[in-house]
Amino acid sequence: MKVIACYNIKGGVGKTATAVNLSCLAAREGHPTLVWDLDPQGAASFYFRVKPKVKGGSGSLFRRKRELDDVIKATDYDHLDLIPADFSYRNLDLTLEQFSKSTKRLRKLIKPLRSDYDYLFLDCAPGISLVSENVLLAADILLVPTIPTTLSLRTLYQLLQFCEDRGYTHLEILPFFSMVDRRKNLHRLMIDDPPKAGRGFLSSTIPYASEVELMGTKRTALESYAHSSRAAEAYRALWEELKPHLAPSQV
Amino acid sequence: MATLLTYPLPKQDSLPRWRQTLLDRLPLHADAADRYRLHFYDSFDWRLFMAGKLLEWREHNGVSELCLHDSGNDVTALTTRLDRPPPRFAADLPAGRLQRQLDKLLGVRALLPLTCVDVRSQCFRLIDEEGKTRVRLFLEQLRLAGSGGHGRILAKRLRLAPLHGYGNDAKRLTQHIEQNLALLPQAQNLLAEALSGTSKTPGDYSSGIDIPLQPEQRADAAMRRILLVLLQTMETNEAGIIDDLDTEFLHDFRVAVRRSRAALGQMKKVFPVRTLQRFRDEFAWLGSMTGPSRDLDVYLLEFSALQALLPADLRGDLEPLRDHLARHRQQEHAVLCRELQGARYRKLKQQWRRYLTSKLPQRPAAADARKPIADVAHHRTWRMYRRVLKEGNAITPESPAEEVHELRKSCKKLRYLMEFFKRLYPAREISALIKILKKLQDNLGEFQDLQVQSQAMKQFSVEMDREGRLSPQTALAMETLSDTLQDHMQRVRSEFANRFEAFGKKANRQRFERLFHPDAGAENRP
Repeated sequence: MKVIACYNIKGGVGKTATAVNLSCLAAREGHPTLVWDLDPQGAASFYFRVKPKVKGGSGSLFRRKRELDDVIKATDYDHLDLIPADFSYRNLDLTLEQFSKSTKRLRKLIKPLRSDYDYLFLDCAPGISLVSENVLLAADILLVPTIPTTLSLRTLYQLLQFCEDRGYTHLEILPFFSMVDRRKNLHRLMIDDPPKAGRGFLSSTIPYASEVELMGTKRTALESYAHSSRAAEAYRALWEELKPHLAPSQV
Repeated sequence: MATLLTYPLPKQDSLPRWRQTLLDRLPLHADAADRYRLHFYDSFDWRLFMAGKLLEWREHNGVSELCLHDSGNDVTALTTRLDRPPPRFAADLPAGRLQRQLDKLLGVRALLPLTCVDVRSQCFRLIDEEGKTRVRLFLEQLRLAGSGGHGRILAKRLRLAPLHGYGNDAKRLTQHIEQNLALLPQAQNLLAEALSGTSKTPGDYSSGIDIPLQPEQRADAAMRRILLVLLQTMETNEAGIIDDLDTEFLHDFRVAVRRSRAALGQMKKVFPVRTLQRFRDEFAWLGSMTGPSRDLDVYLLEFSALQALLPADLRGDLEPLRDHLARHRQQEHAVLCRELQGARYRKLKQQWRRYLTSKLPQRPAAADARKPIADVAHHRTWRMYRRVLKEGNAITPESPAEEVHELRKSCKKLRYLMEFFKRLYPAREISALIKILKKLQDNLGEFQDLQVQSQAMKQFSVEMDREGRLSPQTALAMETLSDTLQDHMQRVRSEFANRFEAFGKKANRQRFERLFHPDAGAENRP
């Protein structure tokens, strides 16, 4: 199982849209796929129409009083399951602090899922916290949607520096441009001459598109209602570009 | 694992009427009706069926998928998207869990299409206030494909597919269906149903030999029965060899030939002398005629493993050998096909079948023909076992390789005898003794293979040189491989003493004696 975290310190950059759309594409190929909505706002759960509720809250889950399997919900897509969000995730830092190896708790928790799923997408809340550290240690790939603006890039550099300082060498950090509006001069300049960040940006870019915003109304992945749109095509290209990083021998 | 529940419906029932009933009585949302075609696959020797699996390729206008089910009833089947019919070999499927599992189950055997079924399906969903589906129910009609859409109706059914995390909803809907619609869930064997009326039955072929025999049966009658089964095995595999579906058709064919030869050679006093001589010669011809193709098959199957024995920088230099083998294999295969469709083989089969099915003579000339098969079986097996012990005990570290090969041949004959007459002995004991013998055979077989392969490298390099296709790099790689194989051979040879000691230890000798010694008490046998 490959663990793919959709993460950015900054909010509103398209993390959830990335997790939802890419996970649907993975499942469409027949890969057993799981999304864990770690954001207390529960946007991914909302898109999948699953109530953002985990019985016993994050405490019982992370203290392993409740097995992960008990809280997994099938989505309306074949081969795609979800661990819904819970409002108690807002206190996840406090829950995690109670454990001795507090940064490795998430990695330990997902271990039993390895035999059941090919991919686990973690939809993370913004910010940089103990939860983020858990995500960085549990993930194999860090997908970082980045808006082509100065501030967004600044947070990306912060993230890269943080991972370097902590020695997270296992992690493959893959930033890509998201919410790209080619009418904007700055966006165009950055896309055409991307700054050097880590191993570089993926070449696929996700456009700023009304179809993506419609996901909130349609409550489903782009493939279901706007298959031919530019945005859906962009997510398919991103998924294809990501695949070589998900080497089969390690799936 | 969540399980699909299948509720068979009477075949004469109208599906539109059922659709209305479901919508009237249950809080369901109906999707648009759907159609797809299911193609079923397995290997010739039913490896998937024997492992309790069912492989189907779901051909659909939208997304086509290959699914491997556990007994056809699990919701969480291994699946991969596949827009074309599956390739012949699992190794060529898209990488992933399904590919790995199929590769493990099928090995070198090809996936062959069995039958296809057209499905008309309508999905009904139980939806909550968020618009989320909680249970799916399928109303389906399955019809044998072909006949211009008028194939036989195999089943009409309702299938309830629970969703992970929504077990209570599935349970409630199940109660509704069972109480209000008076239906009962029942496992369905769709594949067997679809295959009924064809010449195929799941599990109808195995490369193993398992022939029911009566201990008191006349030896000639029992042996004819065994040899007839072997003839059928040969015939069953002919088409697969000619169509070149996979390498195991020829392998199984050759095993049947070898078994037949061993039966004739070991049962000399059961058959008339002239019959024996004539057919022994013909089967020897069949063995040698099919040999070159099989040898080349084995080199090609093991090519990657042989390549891996070389240092990494030499591996690429071996590739021209692969081309050489493939080219020669194609030529040999053409020769083999010609012979298998030729007069000599046809005549052999006709005459052999005529002999095997002819009336048993009242006063046979062969001395053992009328003896009970059990007596002949004990006697021959015991003698061959004694021969194996004698030959094995005579082998020292200095003995020439020929003596090891002689022992290997004797072991093979012993193994065939034990397998022919398996049903005359207690199942557990005979299986255990076959296992003990197999351990020794593995060592002897490996030794033989390595020696032959090492020599073959030299022969291939001569052939390639003659054909002007041998570069100095390839020659060096082949020479290195030949030397490496020789080294391995020495290692395998050095393990022989321990293997033989284990085989011939007192406890094992007693077990063989209890089962096969002609004077052993009847209490040891069924």
